[in-house]
This record gives sequence, C-alpha cells and structure tokens, in this order.
Amino acid sequence: MWAYILRRILATIPVMLVVALFVFSLLYIAPGDPAAVIAGDQASPADVERIRESLGLDRPYLVRFGEWIGQILQGNLGTSIFTNLPVSHMIMQRVEPTLSLMVVTLILSLVVAVPMGVLAAARQGTNTDRAVMAFAVLGFSVPVFVVAYLLAYVFALELEWLPVQGYTPLSEGLWPWFENLILPSIALGTVYIALIARITRATMLEVLSQDYIRTARAKGVGQRAILFVHALKNAAVPIVTVVGIGIALLIGGAVVTESVFAIPGLGRLTVDAILRRDYPVIQGVVLLFSFVYVLVNLVVDLLYTLFDPRIRY
Amino acid sequence: MHRRSFLQSGVAVAASGTLAAPALAQRAAANTLRFVPQANLANFDPIWGTQFVVRNASMLVWDTLYGIDDTFTPRRQMVESEEVSSDGLTWTFRLREGLRWHDNEPVRAADCVASLERWMVRDGMGQMIRALKQELVAVDDRSFRLVLSAPFPKLLLALGKNNTPVAFMMPERMARTDPFQQITEYVGSGPMRFNRDEWVPGARATWTRFDGYVPREEAPNWLSGGKRIGVERVEWIIQPDPATAAAALQSGEVDWWETPLTDLIPVLRRNRNIRIDIADPLGNVGCLRFNHLHPPFNDPRARQAVAWVVNQPDFMRAVVGGDDALWRQMSSFFTPGTPNYTEAGSEIASAPRDAARARQLLRESGYNGEPVTMLVAQDLAVLSAMGQVANAALTQIGLNIDFVATDWGTVGARRASREPRANGGWNIFFTWFAGADCTNPSSYLGLRAHGTNAWFGWPDDPAIEAGRLKWFDATTPAEELAACEEINRAAMISQPFTPTGFYQAYQAWRSNVSGVTPGPLPWFWGVTKS
Amino acid sequence: MSASALPPGLPPGLVIPPGLAIAQPQPDVIPDVKPRTGLGGFIWRYPTIALGGVLLGLMLAMALLAPFLWTVDPAALAPAQRLRDPSAQNWFGTDMLGRDIYSRVVYGAQVSLLVGFAVALFASGIGLLIGLFSGFSRLADAVIMRVMDGLMSIPPILLAIALMALTRGSVGNVILAITVAEIPRVSRLVRGVVLSLREQPYVEAAIASGTPTWKIILKHILPNTLAPLTVQASYICAAAMITEAILSFIGAGTPPTIPSWGNIMAEGRALWQVFPQIVLFPAVFLSITVLAVNLLGDGLRDRLDPRLARRI
Repeated sequence: MWAYILRRILATIPVMLVVALFVFSLLYIAPGDPAAVIAGDQASPADVERIRESLGLDRPYLVRFGEWIGQILQGNLGTSIFTNLPVSHMIMQRVEPTLSLMVVTLILSLVVAVPMGVLAAARQGTNTDRAVMAFAVLGFSVPVFVVAYLLAYVFALELEWLPVQGYTPLSEGLWPWFENLILPSIALGTVYIALIARITRATMLEVLSQDYIRTARAKGVGQRAILFVHALKNAAVPIVTVVGIGIALLIGGAVVTESVFAIPGLGRLTVDAILRRDYPVIQGVVLLFSFVYVLVNLVVDLLYTLFDPRIRY
Repeated sequence: MHRRSFLQSGVAVAASGTLAAPALAQRAAANTLRFVPQANLANFDPIWGTQFVVRNASMLVWDTLYGIDDTFTPRRQMVESEEVSSDGLTWTFRLREGLRWHDNEPVRAADCVASLERWMVRDGMGQMIRALKQELVAVDDRSFRLVLSAPFPKLLLALGKNNTPVAFMMPERMARTDPFQQITEYVGSGPMRFNRDEWVPGARATWTRFDGYVPREEAPNWLSGGKRIGVERVEWIIQPDPATAAAALQSGEVDWWETPLTDLIPVLRRNRNIRIDIADPLGNVGCLRFNHLHPPFNDPRARQAVAWVVNQPDFMRAVVGGDDALWRQMSSFFTPGTPNYTEAGSEIASAPRDAARARQLLRESGYNGEPVTMLVAQDLAVLSAMGQVANAALTQIGLNIDFVATDWGTVGARRASREPRANGGWNIFFTWFAGADCTNPSSYLGLRAHGTNAWFGWPDDPAIEAGRLKWFDATTPAEELAACEEINRAAMISQPFTPTGFYQAYQAWRSNVSGVTPGPLPWFWGVTKS
Repeated sequence: MSASALPPGLPPGLVIPPGLAIAQPQPDVIPDVKPRTGLGGFIWRYPTIALGGVLLGLMLAMALLAPFLWTVDPAALAPAQRLRDPSAQNWFGTDMLGRDIYSRVVYGAQVSLLVGFAVALFASGIGLLIGLFSGFSRLADAVIMRVMDGLMSIPPILLAIALMALTRGSVGNVILAITVAEIPRVSRLVRGVVLSLREQPYVEAAIASGTPTWKIILKHILPNTLAPLTVQASYICAAAMITEAILSFIGAGTPPTIPSWGNIMAEGRALWQVFPQIVLFPAVFLSITVLAVNLLGDGLRDRLDPRLARRI
C-alpha cells in the first residue's frame, strides 16, 4: 500500500512537468504585455519598454523557463509581477476562502445529493424518482451565475436573510464564516448535486438488484437499513469516483461563484492574473490546481480500499 | 428585530464562544470606512505604476510638498515656505516642523530630494524640470534647494498636481529605488499607515490612522489643507461585479462606492440610506485614438472623415446610460467647465454630423477598402461600448472594420506596436483621459504630437507642439488660454485623436457617512462615519 | 366421443385415433401484441429522446430562420432608446446600447448551437483519433496519456480562459479553446474502450491472424466506440454551450458585435437588479437548449448502450 502511494506520488511528477511546460509556453506566446498594464494609460512607450526590461520579460524563452523550473524545484513559485509579493504568499492568502467554499459545497452536495439519489432509486419509477431526475437534468442546464444571481436577489436583497457578498475568515467565528458561504455553496453545488444524485441513483439501482440485497430482504432487514447500510456501502465506489472527477468541475465553477459573491479566493486570483498577464501567478495557481486534482484522485483511489475490501494495492 | 440578526444570534448561541463576536464587530464597524474603489489595487508604488487607483490609495500614505485646491492653485502642504530668486532660477524650500514617517523617523530634506529625483524620471513635467535642473540638494535637515538653468513657471503646479505620477515624498532609502522597479516597503508621512499584512491584492487593502500625522491648520480643499482622518480604519473592498457592489451598498455591507454604474443609480436612489452625487466634476474625456504611422489614418483626411461621423451623444449614451445630466458635447480637446476650455476651430466636432462629407474625405485620402484594425477591450465596459458605437458609425461610411475584441492587457501591449496592421499592428484603439489631465497641456499625453516620441499613435503636428510650448511659457491666464486656443485649432485639423465626449460619473455612499465631496479623486480626509 | 366434440377447423375426414384427446382451444390469455410503431411508439419508448429532440429542433429552427422571425438587425445600435422594458415593439425590451433583445436572443441561438455542435464534433473527432492511436501504440500511449493527464488536471474553464487570453475574441477561437479543453476526456474514454476491446477474444484472434490494424479498427473497434462516443459528444455539446456563456461572462468569449446568449447575459449582468430580463431571457433559452441536449444524450445512452446506462 505505501509503495503504491509512493509510486502514485512519483507518477505525478511527469504530469506536473507537462502542466508546467504547457502553461509556460502558452503564456510565452500570449500576446498581452504585463508591462503595458502596469505602466497604465499615461505611460510613454519608452517607459513601457523600460519596465519590460526590468521585469526580465525581454529575455529568451529557454532562459526564462529554465530559471522558473529551477525556482520551483527550490520550492519558490516566484514573485508576482504586479504586486511584487511572493506568489506563494498570494496563494496562501487565497487558499482559505476557496477551500472553505469547496468543503462546504462538497459537504452540502453529499448531504443533499446522496439521500436524493437513494430515495429515487428506492422509489424507482414513481413521481419522486421523476422529480429527482428532472432536478438532476435541470441542475446541469442552468448556468451557475444565473443560479447565483437568483439566490442573491431573493435571499440577500429581498428577504435579507443572508449577506450579499464577501467572506469572513473562520477565525472570526463559525457563524459569520458560514453565513457568507451559504448562498455561494448552493449556487456552486447545484451542478454537483445533480451529478452526484444521478450517479447515486444509477449505482443504487444496480446494487439493489443484487442477490445479497434480496437475501437481506428475505431475512427481514428493514428497508432503511438495506438502503443506507448494505446498498449504499457497495455503491460508494462509483460515487466517490465521481466526487473526485467533479473537483475539476468545482474549481471551474468557483471562478464564477467567487466573482459574483466577491469571495477573495483562488478562482478570482487566477482570472485577474490571466487578464493582467501576471505570468508567475498564473503559472503558480495552475500548478497548484493540477496538483490538487492529482492528489484528490489519489485519495479517491485509496478510498476504494475502504469501501471495497476486495481492492488491494 | 431584523430577520438576519435573529438568525445570527441563534446560531451564535449554538456555536457558543463566538457569542461576543457580533458586538465587537459592530463597534469596530463604526470606526471603519468600507470603500469600494474603481479598480483593484494590484500594486502599490505610485511612481512605478501610474494607474489612478494606485495614486488614489497612495494619497493616504504619502504626502506631497504642495497640493492643488479646487482652483488648480498649488498650495503648500509639507512645505512651510519657499523662496525663489528674482531670476526665477533658484528655489529654496523649507519643510514644516514635526513631519514624521510612519516609522517615527523625522522627514528630512534629503528624503524629499531623493523622492523628487525618482519622480522626475517618470513624470512628464518632471522630465522637463530634470532637463533644466542644475542642482537639487539638501541645505540642512529641513530645507533643500533646486537650481534651474531656465525659469520654469509651472514648478509648483508640477509638485502639487494630482495627475499621475504625483510627486509623493518617500524616505530616502525607498526613494533610491530604481524608478522602473517597485518599492518593497510602504512607509510614508501621510495621514494613514498601510497595513501591508492585510493586503490581499484583488480583494482588500486596509489602512489605519497614523496618530503622528500633523495636519495643516487650513480647512481641507482637494489636495491642500488639513488632511484630518475621521475614522480609525479605511478598508478598500475590491468588487469587480457592479451588480454585487450595488447590493452590498444597499444592504450596508459597504459604506461608499466610488464608481456606481449609472444605470443602477435609480435603484440606489430608492434606498433612503444612500446618498448620491457627482464624483469628479472634471469628469473624463473619451478618446478614439488613431495610428498616424500607417494607412488609412496617416492621412489627416481619413482622420477627419472619422471625426465627421463621431456623434458624441451616441457614444456618451452608450457609455454613461440614460442620465443626460452626466455627459456633455465637447467640441474641444480641453475639459469643459475649466478655464482653458475653447471651441476654437471646432466645426468638425460641433456641426451636424455629415456622413456624405466623411465618405468624400475618405475617398480623397485614397482609402481603398483595406481592413482597419480596431482594438476593443472587453473587460472595460466604457471601452467596449465606445468600440461598438464606433464600429457602427465607421462601417456606415465604408471603412472595412476588423473588430478585435480582446482584453485591456492585450490592447495595452498591441498598441505599442508600430508595425502595419498585417504584422500585428493596429489602426484604432479606445481609451479615456481623466478630465483633470485635459485641463491644460502639462499632463495631456494624448495631445502630444511630436512624432515617434509621442504617445501610442505617434501623431506628428508641429503646430500643436508649438502651442504647447507657448502654454509652458505663459504667465497669465489670458496667455494660457490663447495657447490652448492655438492648440485646439491645430488639433481639430490634424485630429491626433477624436474626442468621443465628456462624461462624468456618480459616487454613492451610505447616509451615516458624511464629508464626501466631489473631486478628481476620492479623498478620505474630512470623511466621518456615525 | 362424438364428432361434435371435435374442435372446429380440423381437416375434414380426419380420423382421430382412439385414446387421443384433442385439446380444446383456450382463450387467448396474452393480449395481442400491438407493436407501437411510428412516431407514437417512438415517443412512448424514448420519451427523453423525443422531448429533447423536439426542443432542440425548435431551437435549431429558430437559429436557422432567425431573419424571418420578426427580428430586426441584432447589432443595430440605438443609444437613444436604450434599456426599454418589454413592449409590443421590443418584445424582450432593449439593452444598454438600445439593441432589440428579442432579435439578439433569436440570433444568439446561432452562436450557442454552433459552438455546442462544433465543439462536440471536433472534440470527439480529435479525441477519437488520439484515443485510437494511443490505444494501439504502447510507446505513444505512455507519452500521450501523460500529456492528457496534465491537460486534464487543469480545470477546463481555466484552460479555456487562458487560451482565449492568447487570441482575440471570436466564435472560432471560442470553439477552439473549448475543444482543446475537452479533448483529454474524450481521448481517455476512447482509449479505455480500445484497451478493453483489445482483450476480447475475437479481437485478439484477429490480431493473431495478422489482420491489418486499420481493418481491426474499422471492423471491431469503431462500431463499439461509436455508442459511448455519441453519448459523450452530447454531454460535451451541452457543456460547451455553458462554457461559452461563462467565458463571455468573464469577458473572454464571443465578441460583443456578434450576439450570443453568453454575451447578452454578460452585458446585462451588471443591471441584473433593474432589468433582469436582459439576463433572464437568454438564460431561459440557454437552459432549455442545454436541457434538450442533455435529455437527448440521456435517451441516446439508454438506447445505444444499456450497459453504460446502468453505470451512469
């Protein structure tokens, strides 16, 4: 098992290298110029050129790539062109909001979606089932920002139950923190809930037709115990897989959600950085996202053993 | 009891331990002014980066030797007195007593000398002073001397102007930074300290009142007078989404919004707790900029053709929305409502729009239907709107527009290219100038016309440049106006750019905030919150 | 036993040997199988395909017939009559530049559908090629799959935004950016199918008997790949339409001179509180279209690949 984990972690290195090379090259050929953005509208062309030189943007591709990789190997993600702050510092500042949003969304999605899927499977063909399926298809079809604005309008502006925007760090109390995350995580979670509910329903249907479930029924095990103990445990592997795959979906949605609800997270950092051509920040954040994605999928793989003892590494 | 506070207390009790938090937060809120600025504070060196938002934030941290008042007259700020020799060549400045940096070191003359040296490299007027400079030295701890080779009548204006880069005073160790490199600490002698640890670029920046600041006795007036800060703390909350910012102001989550969208003003007005006023009386000047190096706009007739179909009301309504009080036709290159405003020679801007004449001029210029590359930044609503209106107008006179929808980062880079359009160059881009920069030629980059040294677009018109030099030598308002009339007449013919109109914007704040006044930038002195 | 007891319909003159009983005909307990044929039957059996198909068909018709649906020039500016509420003249009202929102929404169908279909087509086409190639060449497989893993670990929306920053906003570039972001998933899917098929005895036999690879692909692999690929393509189509809207929302999508549902919403979002219709109309149309494609995808999956249907 440990050997497997080590192998998997080592296997992420080439993946990360590909990401690094890809992102760096992409930005290298990108036409935008951070120097021009920094200098502002009132700068003379000569000033822009001087700034470009001072940022080292006039040096050749390989020199810059080599330097960057060298830095990363020393655990240094570089310095933002705009803020002159270390990229790692900027990322650390933004991790908490994004992580909070993701975790709350994830928990909310699981808490809502799994029972929904189980219920739909248990009552296959009924109106409950149809309602769940209809929600699942709809959840995929409405753009996240439309859901976000609707929620903000109804619950924050009209009813005034929840704040419109912003983020309060967890250190300032559990409720202030949570209060700000309710609407964003519902907005972000809609797609995710739809996805997980569908998967849960489908796998549950398959599991419920298995022999051991029939045996359990015959032995007189209660319906609830069958659904949530026997069946759900066996349906866990596909569900966990989808949760893992969905992390990429969640990160993408976070970009939009953070912008609507003014959450100072990584998603907004990335979009800002792309629009301003803050190369070191874009590179750092994308590397981080890939790393998280790879890591989450490793964890998912390891969770398999937990749910399905037949799987061994 | 409000629904939300009910929910809040319920859960707070449940979560126990956080019981005291809301009360604490409320007390802090009264002393904290939460402000939504026009843009993200992405860097914080007002000499290195010259975006307006950086300048505005810097006004809190760094002080200036002089500051203009609402008549554009430079008033003493850090300076206690100045002396000028009768030939106008030797200036001696004496600093006020008791000025301190935020690290409690005294402000010395040597700091100011170093700060001026750094600023002169980057500022347009600074460069002119630098060219004339014989000597700039500290005489003692509180005085320094500037010796020029020729008189420069606009010296105090240069030191006190609000146009970027502003001549901010920094400690010598910071001011020695290469002007093309960013400073790494943010120590000033202004009324507030910058909380570097709390700065989250793209989200938040905060300042705490500096108790060691000694304001002047005079009442505050723009950048002059006593800069008394009425709150403990100023928080800038960066909010890129106007819909969300409006909602936050309505619910009281923020106190002051610098640039509310005009179309949202009616909603904000409906809220009894929100006050609204013009933000900057000097407003903005919309700009359709030509590339003078390449066809078709290397021919003045092609540029005039465009000017003949630029219908400012169309542009302005697209930019500011339905409120006609917010914009004005400007048949001029100078800011309406300021002393140098002139309509000399401006028939091309003020006469009824004439597409037939435009087509005629275009034909005469030899335009043969080649594509015209128009760069339009989509991430700035004002520019996107101007681009779309221009696209419709120019297509109508037969220009073959290649509409390049992109972001400001790309426009900023691509406009620097002097290549023809086929090799990655451009023909037209859009921007706006702060009305404050267009009141006179001193900081008016868009109106420079010294060929390849000029601002992007590189217009070449000796008549404009001659008028500009006349303005610098002018010593009376009448002479200044005469110089501006000469410039205006020349520019209407050569069209270094075509103004698309003059527009203003509102600012909005909660009624428990008082002391918000109109001006070319938001200042926080004199603002209190109850 | 009398002759009268004989069941009717026996050939005359048939002599029943003694001791042999003739069974009496029983009433038909299984009702007549009336096979539901034609349209009605199809709708009965595949309600999701039918519903999705009809909705999508309507949207397609709207896109194609846009000029004839009482629309005006969707790009015609009229700043003087901006931000009108819905009226007899402007059914959906006007936007910030005085353009007719109804016309923009109708014409917007063209862009959204074009983006959706083009991305689905290109992404599955290119993904198919890469997946096939990778599935048949061990050496290439290692390299290609590392690259795909890398691309896949970048969230598709971020990848698309970054690609858009590379170029100018145009429908073609939006299609390109979303396609690139979707390719890794398709090639993974195809490769998976190829690898599992290669282990099937009949394919192994074909390989052993020296059948050329292209023939194996054509005869055994492609037909089996088509079903999951079609289903996948429908989901990509739906995702692409949403991504286009998000790209426009961020300001990195279709240029504003071309109406797309995404950029109508993007331009109207700041005024969401005051003129919700600017966002709502395109949002409803976009949601219906995405819904239609998703329903169609679900239906196709149930029909083409029952095994997959049970898995997902």
